[in-house]
Parts: sequence; structure tokens; C-alpha cells
Amino acid sequence: MLDAALASRLSAVLPPAAFLDAPEATRPYECDGLTLFRERPGAVLLPQTEAQVVAILKICHEARVPVVPRGAGTGLSGGALPHADGVVLSLARFNRILSIDPLARTAVVQPGVRNLAISEAAAAYGLYYAPDPSSQIACSIGGNVAENSGGVHCLKYGLTVHNVRRVRGVLVTGDIVEFGNDALDAPGYDLLALVHGSEGLLAVITEITVKLCPKPPLAQCVLAAFDDVEKAGAAVAAIIGAGIVPAGLEMMDQRATRAVEDFVHAGYPLAAAAVLLVESDGTPEEVAHEIAEVSRVLTSAGATEIRISKDERQRLLFWSGRKAAFPAVGRISPDYYCIDGTIPRAALPLVLRKIEAWSAEYGLACANVFHAGDGNLHPLILFDANRAGEAERTIAFGDRILALCIEVGGTITGEHGVGVEKLTSMCAQFGQDELACFLAIKSAFDPSGLLNPGKAVPTLARCAEIGGMHVHHGALPHADLPRF
Amino acid sequence: MSLSFDPAAVRARPSTETVAALVGTLARDYGERAVTSHAIREQHSHGEGLADPALPDVVVYPQSNEEVAAVVRLCNAARVPVVAFGVGTSLEGHVAALYGGVCVDLSQMNRVLEVNADDLDCRVQAGVTREQLNAELKGTGLFFPIDPGANATLGGMTATRASGTNAVRYGTMRENVLGLTVVTAEGNIVRTGGRARKSSAGYDLTRLYVGNEGTLGIITEVQVRLYGIPESIVAAVCQFPDLGSATRTVITAMQLGIPVARIELLDDVQMDACIRYSKLEGYAARPTLFFEFHGTESATREQADLMQQIASEHGGSAFQWASAAEERSKLWKARHNAYYAALALKPGVQAFATDACVPISRLADCLLETRADVEREGMTAPIVGHVGDGNFHLVLLFDPHDPADRARAEAIAQRVSERAIRMGGTCTGEHGIGVHKLDALVREHGDAVDLMRRIKRALDPHNILNPGKTVPLTRG
Repeated sequence: MLDAALASRLSAVLPPAAFLDAPEATRPYECDGLTLFRERPGAVLLPQTEAQVVAILKICHEARVPVVPRGAGTGLSGGALPHADGVVLSLARFNRILSIDPLARTAVVQPGVRNLAISEAAAAYGLYYAPDPSSQIACSIGGNVAENSGGVHCLKYGLTVHNVRRVRGVLVTGDIVEFGNDALDAPGYDLLALVHGSEGLLAVITEITVKLCPKPPLAQCVLAAFDDVEKAGAAVAAIIGAGIVPAGLEMMDQRATRAVEDFVHAGYPLAAAAVLLVESDGTPEEVAHEIAEVSRVLTSAGATEIRISKDERQRLLFWSGRKAAFPAVGRISPDYYCIDGTIPRAALPLVLRKIEAWSAEYGLACANVFHAGDGNLHPLILFDANRAGEAERTIAFGDRILALCIEVGGTITGEHGVGVEKLTSMCAQFGQDELACFLAIKSAFDPSGLLNPGKAVPTLARCAEIGGMHVHHGALPHADLPRF
Repeated sequence: MSLSFDPAAVRARPSTETVAALVGTLARDYGERAVTSHAIREQHSHGEGLADPALPDVVVYPQSNEEVAAVVRLCNAARVPVVAFGVGTSLEGHVAALYGGVCVDLSQMNRVLEVNADDLDCRVQAGVTREQLNAELKGTGLFFPIDPGANATLGGMTATRASGTNAVRYGTMRENVLGLTVVTAEGNIVRTGGRARKSSAGYDLTRLYVGNEGTLGIITEVQVRLYGIPESIVAAVCQFPDLGSATRTVITAMQLGIPVARIELLDDVQMDACIRYSKLEGYAARPTLFFEFHGTESATREQADLMQQIASEHGGSAFQWASAAEERSKLWKARHNAYYAALALKPGVQAFATDACVPISRLADCLLETRADVEREGMTAPIVGHVGDGNFHLVLLFDPHDPADRARAEAIAQRVSERAIRMGGTCTGEHGIGVHKLDALVREHGDAVDLMRRIKRALDPHNILNPGKTVPLTRG
């Protein structure tokens, strides 16, 4: 609970029922999509206007109270995990689409608007918003900016950062700032890019201008079966290596296809060790040509079966299994842990082979469902938290996969962010010079450190404690820090 | 990293003794690769825009990341400015050594380090030029599309967030740089991004350094995306009765979402200049659009037919086609040389190239108002632009010996910036801020400039990296 004076100052700047501090009211906010970590916040604030956000930040800044911004709470790395002594600033009531400009192909939206709602509203003009994280029914566009979310279509159409023109936000001091521009480029340092993926550590977002894309006249999907996971991985590299950039390029292994088949009956070839889904969109001529090319590459890569969607119904059926993969896996295992590493595509066969070997070593099944075209892996490690030692083994297995991602030139998180989950892995991926740059940027935006503290960027002390500290030229950095 | 900013560092020239000592050290460590001759320093004192030279005290030619880091460490310790230099083709005074100091010329770091054809990316040293990269990619079936007019280095293109004629389809350096090696103000070597196609680990340092103009760090290696050379490439030229009809053709095409790869506007004055300079035959000195379509045979045909239809509706001529590679390259060479062609219109002139970018829907308004302004003032000022992005350049030619003429040119340029900002656009689509656009940045970005200033101070507390550029450190 916050102290009473602070609570009354905060509720005074908010509309009725927008200040929550009763335990039953704050409980729904105690975690996001990463349920492994929970914390009860001092209070939850639900402002409706930018002026209220400014007032809240000024009060909290003055009182030195941590502020954790929150969108729809679908994040998978604990980015919205509350701070016990702080407030959760929910943008859920910023849920209006302010304008759509079909000529400029942009929409101005509030951060609490759901990702899919933008495409639904833009459909009237033959337009849509391209990035489509699997949680697009629920996740908010503000959260997408904070995490720089991807999705199935980002291979061709880019991540959130490529699809946002302008962001308006409030700094921890209550100052209003705008990043980006309605035109192609904005001068000076690329603050718009910095705020993408900043996990709520730099500013509270209050308004976003997104780019909209014209709906392609046609989309078709190829489903290819392989008798070997590595061959499927090599086929992915071969498609990209042939200079083809499909609208989507996804892979599921047998454990995943079997789980979804029971659930959605998509008609997947269950004998296959792996299935690829390759989508092509554009004019009918372009699609016909690309599908022919893709089929040729898949065949020479050893596909045992190739199906091409005949109509929109069948295309959606092919995708239904991929979109439902996570809940489907949830049905076959009491718990699962979703890993999110990204690797250069050419390393796919090697990494998949190692995951398979380690799965046997740890005695934990692992289903692979992922954005293969981007090299973005999502191994789902299946476990039962009630069995002693399984959770620990799962985490060890996961860490080993992430270490391998770094080793082959990749990264520990492709699209889910660092949050609280991957702070330790950050010490492995980055040396102290890179971390110092991160901390310098944070201090330029928020010298008080009150915005979403303890997330995204580990302190140098934390890296020192776990021994992940990078020793540069043989000199131990920050030798004055206490070490354990 | 220290956060205390040294206020005296909003910069005076370092003392003669400090510079002499540093030059001595550099001469000892780098021998003939540390040069103090006037001719070489003069060559490194300006880019291709306004001359306004400012000479560095010494030019060093490092050959490795470690050497760059060592030079920067020396400069940081001595509080001496350090300016990175590619081939000096920037237009906004980026490379002028306003406070003297060390010029780090990266031209000897010119190796293509790796080409990963399967992953469609490559890693190069900062001194590799765009033409050199494409020449080395021959035979792989891949190409790198970003093409500012000049044959700039990848390091310089990254530092200025360059763009070019292909941006409408392939994006700018912002979209195409995957990772960097950067030497920080403290002389540390930092690697950002990498070969993974996406990452949400940590802040986006890569894009922070893209466009930093050498003020936050010196870029020494660049990882960029590559693209498959399209199966079919078709270029076409279409001439129009007036500027308005050409511009409206572009707006219609963009709004219909035709995936044109290049769409370039040259007004009558620029077309006249290009016809003379590049010996183009069969064209009139009229507002002209250059198009290029990429894709399969059928897709390019389909796009081109649709484009011809739109152009005709706006009074455009029948397309003149260029599908053979030599014809196309002649056409685009003429386009890339537009700036030099403009300079050749009046011997002895200097040029001011403005760089406005507006939302596509306001492009016609902005161009026509600008044209009228130029005519009112009686200046010679060709217009050329990557109009598919709403980005255009007004090349103001003036007599460098006539202060009134220069003032008139500056006033028009100023009004172009203001007009673009009023229309929801920006004063710099691709050339950057340098020294010339500092005021415009403040006008356009207001409070965000404060943040940029804080970032600069956090990452370069002694203000040694290209001081006086990109972000005004004192208010007002």
C-alpha cells in the first residue's frame, strides 16, 4: 500500500474508480504473460488523458515512487511486473483510434488500442497494420512499441519500429515529447527507434502514428512436409538464399503439429518430422510466380509433400494450427516455458539438432514452433512444475539454448524483450562497454531511475555478481564493487 | 561512463601545446599515416556542400578498429576534437573541423569482411564505398540498394542516415543496417546489433548510431542487408507539361500502392542541366519522372502499364523505355550526377542543396510554392527529388563572391525548411543536420532536442566527437 498522503494526491488527479489499491482490485495486475514472477503493486492507476499521465508522473517523480507502465499485460518477459513500493500506470483506458488518413496511409491511435483493432478499423479503406504478434487479438499497440513486437508477417513487412511514424510520450519528469515525424525521416538522433523496445524505461507512451499497408489482392500459403527437422531448417535458409522474401515463413516440428492437430484439426501431415508454412502475397501474377519458385526450392530441399492453398478458407485452415500452437501445447503439458532466441538463418539446422539432443539429455520434451524466416526460435520446453527439479532443469535447458544463440551470432530475445526474465542473459550477450551505453541512455531519459526500475538492462553490479562480467584488456572493471 | 559534463567542453580550440604534443604522439605511432601537410588538411576541411572550410590539425589513416580506438583514447585524454571522415561527400558541413583537432580518415579501412549470401547480409569496413561493395558482390546475384548521388562510403552513409533513389522500395540506411562496430568517446570498441534479423535485447544502439554524424561514436564496421537482383528490371522516362502534373502523378501512384522501385522527379531546369551534362538524347527540358520497376517479367510489365495509365491521365508523355542494362545505367548515372550537372549550369557558382521531406499528400503544394518562391527571387535553382518518399532537393546556385546572392539563397533555403515543417514534414530527409541545420532541428523538434543533448552528454561527456554538429549543446 502507498502512504495515505500520496494515495490521496494521486486519486485527486484521477477520475473516480481510476485509483485501485484494494488487494482484490490490484491482484489482476500482479503479473503479465510471464506468470513465473508475481508482485503486488502499491496501487494501480487508470488515467484517461495525457494531462492525467503528466500529473501522475510529476507526483511520483517528486515523491520518488517507481512507476511501471502497463498495456494489455500480454508481455512474455515480465516487463509489466509491478514494483512492490510503486504504482502500475495502466494505459488500458487510452483505447481510441483518433484518426485514419487513407491517403497518407497512417492512423493515429492511443496506446491502449488493441493491435488487431487497428487493422479492423483500417479495413474499410483496404488497408491494414502489418505487424501481427500472435497475441494480436489482445495485445495493445503501446505495448507493441515498448517491446518492438514482431509476428508472422514481419519477415516481409518489418517489426513495429519499421511501421511506426511518430510516438508521443511523457518523460518521468512530466515533460511531453514527440519522436519521429509524419514524413519519411526525422532529423537528429533516432529517438523514435530508441523508444521502440525500451520496455517502458524511457517514457510513457500516450499517442502513436502507425503506418498502414494496402491489403494485397491475393495471399496464398504453401504447406511443406519434411521427414527430418534439419532438412526443414536447411529449406528455410535455401528459400531466403534464393532471394525470396515470403510474407510469412514458419516452422513447426512434429510434437507441435501433433498437439495442434488434436486441437484445431488443420489436416497437417502428422507423419512429418517438420512442417513449413510459406505465405506469398501480392498481385495474382506475383503470387503465382513466387509460389512456383518456393515449390521448386522446397522440392529440391527434400520436401516429402507440398500442398498449396486453393482458396482463402484453406489458407486460413493452414494458419489456424500455427496461430493456435501455444494454447495447443498448453493442452498436452501442465506447464511450458517459451524460449525466444534469434539466430542467423544459416545456423538453423545446427541449433535444431542440438536442441533435440539436449531434450533427451534433460529428459524434457520440447516442441518447436517459430518464425523460421527471421531465424526467431520459440522452443517450448514442456515440464511439470509440480515434479521436483523439473522447473530448474527447464531453466537450465533454456539458458543453454540462449547461450547457443549468442554463440552462433544471434541474440537472447528476438521479440519478447528482456523484462525481468533475461537480465542475467544480458550479461552474457553484452560486455560492460555496451551495458555502459545502455545505462547512459537510460540516464539521459530518466536520471531518477523511477520508470520501470529493475527491468531490461542489468546493472553492472548484477553482472559482476553472477560472474558474467566482461574483463577488458585483463583489467577487472569497477574493482570497487562488492563481489560475492 | 561519467555523467558529469564538462561545461568548458562546449568547445574552444585546444591549446597549441596540447595539439603539438598529440601530433607528435600520432606521428610516432602512425608514421606516414599521420599527415599534417596543408594540402591534405585542406582536402579534409569540407564536404561537397558549401565550402566554408575548417581545417583539422592532423589527418590520421587508421587501418583497424584498434587503431581507431587508440586514436580516440588519445584525443579523449587530451580533450582534443576528433572528426571521422569517409570520402567527404556530405552536404551539410559534417566533416569541417570547426575546432581543429584530429581527422580520422577511414579510407584505408576498405575491406569487405564477409558476404553471407544465404543470410542476405554482409559486413564491411567503414571505408568501403557503395560502388565498391556492389562491384565485389558481382557474381553472387545480390546487391546493396542504397544509393545517394555520390559514391559515398558505407560508414559515412550510416553516420548520416543516407537514402537514395531506391528508398521508396528498399528503405534508407535506417532499415538496412543490421549491426555496427563503433568506437566510443572513451575509445572502447562496441558491437551493436548483429546477424540476427531481429532482437529486442537492450536499447536500439544500432539505430542510435545510424545518423549520429560522428557525434556519439566513430563507426568502423557496418553489417548491412543485401537483396537478390530482381529477375526483371525496367526503367522508363515520362515527361510532363508542368511540375504540378508530374507531382500529382507521383501522389496517385503512391496512394494506389504501386510497388515502384524508383520514382525520381527532375524539374525543367534540372532536366536541362542533365541533358547537357550527361549528354542525354531524345528528351526535352521539361518536368520529368524517371521510374524503375523490379520484379518478375509479368510483375514489372503490370506495374509499368498501370503507371503509364496514371501518367497519361495527368498529361504525361508516352514512356520511353530502358531495359538493357547499359541504357539503364546511363539514365541513373545522369540522375546520380544531377548535383554536378546543376553546378555546371553556371561556372564558378557554389550550391546550397536543401533537403526537405513532406508527407506525400502535401508534395505538390510544397513543390509548387517552392518553385514560385525561387521564381520571385530570380534565382537559378533546379529541383530534383526522391519524390516517392516525399523527399526533394532544391539546388540553389549562388555566386560565392556576392554576399547578397548567398543571403538570398540562404533565405530561400530557410523558407523551404519552414514550409516543409509547416506541412508536417522535415527539413532534412537524408542529408542530415551537420552545422547548417542546427536551427531547423530546434524549430522542428523542440523538447526532444533536450533529450538529444542529454544523450550526447552522456555518451561524449568531454564533447570531443565532431563538436559543433548535429545537436546544439547550448540552448537558443
